[in-house]
Amino acid sequence: MGRFKNNKKSRVIVKPIPKKNQEDVSHVTGDKIPKSFVFSRMKLPGPVKQLQMDLRKLMLPYTALSLKEKKRNTLRDFLNVSGPMGVTHFLMLSKTASSLSLRVARTPQGPTLTFKIHQYSLASDIAQSQLRPRCPQDLFKSPPLIVLSGFGSQELHLKLATIMFQNIFPAIDINTVKLSTCQRLVLLNYNKDTKLIDFRHYSIRLQPVGVSRRIRKFVQNHQVPDLRNLQDVSDFVTKAGYGSESEGDEEAATVTLSSDLGRVNKGSTKSAVKLQEIGPRMTMQLVKVEEGLCTGGIIFSEYENVDGKKEKLKKKQDEEGDEEEEEEDSEEEGEEGSEEDGEDMDED
Amino acid sequence: MSTGEEGHMAMADRGSRKRRFGVKKGTKAARNKKLKSKPSSSDRFKVTMKNQKLFQKRARDYNSDEEEEEDESKKQPEVTIREKIFSDANMGPNYEEIEEEDGEDNDENSDGEDHGEIESGITKFATDGCNAFKIAFKAIMKKTKGDDTLGPVLSAHKHLIGEKLAEEEAEKKAKGQARKAKHLIAEKGHVKPESYLDSHEKILIGVATKGVVKLFNAVNKAQHAQKGLNPSRSKDAKVLKKRRKEAFFSELGKTKTDPKAQKSEEEAPAWAPLRDNYMLANPKLKDWDKNQETKEGDDFAAMSGDESYED
Repeated sequence: MGRFKNNKKSRVIVKPIPKKNQEDVSHVTGDKIPKSFVFSRMKLPGPVKQLQMDLRKLMLPYTALSLKEKKRNTLRDFLNVSGPMGVTHFLMLSKTASSLSLRVARTPQGPTLTFKIHQYSLASDIAQSQLRPRCPQDLFKSPPLIVLSGFGSQELHLKLATIMFQNIFPAIDINTVKLSTCQRLVLLNYNKDTKLIDFRHYSIRLQPVGVSRRIRKFVQNHQVPDLRNLQDVSDFVTKAGYGSESEGDEEAATVTLSSDLGRVNKGSTKSAVKLQEIGPRMTMQLVKVEEGLCTGGIIFSEYENVDGKKEKLKKKQDEEGDEEEEEEDSEEEGEEGSEEDGEDMDED
Repeated sequence: MSTGEEGHMAMADRGSRKRRFGVKKGTKAARNKKLKSKPSSSDRFKVTMKNQKLFQKRARDYNSDEEEEEDESKKQPEVTIREKIFSDANMGPNYEEIEEEDGEDNDENSDGEDHGEIESGITKFATDGCNAFKIAFKAIMKKTKGDDTLGPVLSAHKHLIGEKLAEEEAEKKAKGQARKAKHLIAEKGHVKPESYLDSHEKILIGVATKGVVKLFNAVNKAQHAQKGLNPSRSKDAKVLKKRRKEAFFSELGKTKTDPKAQKSEEEAPAWAPLRDNYMLANPKLKDWDKNQETKEGDDFAAMSGDESYED
């Protein structure tokens, strides 16, 4: 009896398609990873569309980069989609004749902060104005760090803004975080006099300190140096190059690394932290805080009438109860992971 | 559409072509007019080419002094003939086309050509007796030399065309202004940084750098201490846990709960009698040796309460 050969035609070979599922819960801290949608409900003119794209890139990797919205989509549609996908925050841009505004809201029924953007610059503008714009390949593969400064802890709406921004980006655990994944930084600086918030986005670079410039460049760029005028290699190594202006600044910014980071920065030697600006630059002002998702009572409003204050104060007190609970929870996890609380106290 | 126009141009090869046909691709009427005039003009063209020599001969013999009178009645047909000759002679049936071209040069050149071709037509009519046509034509040529943009057109249309031109210019201006205003609104707030680093930016970068340095130092501290410990070994795992807890509580202790509660826990033992302030803190038990006679009942109550307290 002949052996029946496995007929290849009938056997179906199923190749497992590797599905790229983003994790919902961080393995380290056990909290839900916050994800966001950046969109707008109206047609935006040219540069504002680019700003929206820049903001999307900023929020990577936990955002929908190529989100397409149609005119007939309402906020309700986005809300319905956000539930199963685990999206926690909405960032909405809208432009009217007089102003450009950004609304940051927590789904599903969280508070909404409305910021009026006074000035903005696109990422491409900033890259053009720099001599050496820098964008390494895996810059956007890990979420950015966030630094908040000047917000203080007195005013309620500022506190709310602080908490909201802390929660938009996933928290980091200092015990297990790898320094190579901290490559970007978002800075929010509040100016009490003008009530304006500066929004900046930087890329972090570590440079070894105490090494002469030529040797450092040689090691980093792999470019063979020009030795025409030198008698001996020792001249190249020991030649005292003039120190750069920023040497003094680097003193304050030196950090001792715990582990090796790339070829150049070895562990247990001093390295300097250098920031270079990428990404959009915005100057905004907190204008309105609503308790619902673009609905609900107004907790704070910049242009509030004096008469309406009494009613709103009562509502505020009701909210304070909820917010304090929120604060406690988030402050705990915030302080365990992120570092900006130190900033709040120092910079005040 | 454009290729069709080009084909049309290549086909009808007529002298110096400084005007482009089909610049205004718009109106159906214009296109129809063109189609209509096409066959007639080709016919006309054939006739004149054939009788070229005859006309030249007649032109030599022609004496203009003889015919000076104007004939009013013959003007009507002459108008239409004039139109046809103009269309034939390289100026296009579309008077609107003429408006869009710039330069009197075109007009002058083609007028020169027209003149040449038309003269032969004129002579034909001259010999036939249409003096009126000749006079009318000359009058028009004198008049139209002054015109700049419009070129030789029928007088009835001149005003309308002038108005139309003015309207279009006004429209263009308004549109341009509206577009500029729209562009301005779109760009409102968009600032292109002239210099990369000014003082404010330097301050901000300094603030951010401080934050990063703090974080990295904290990470180093935490991770360096952990370096020697291997999380798989149970002993070390306990140490790890303890460290984490301490760090956690120390972070919390910065703003909120006092570490005092912790301390008091450790210091005071759990069993009540071992505490130093046993029997002194409780007001009922404090005076246990004083009022025993009167308050026996109370004592009993106190004692029973005390028992539960001891347990």
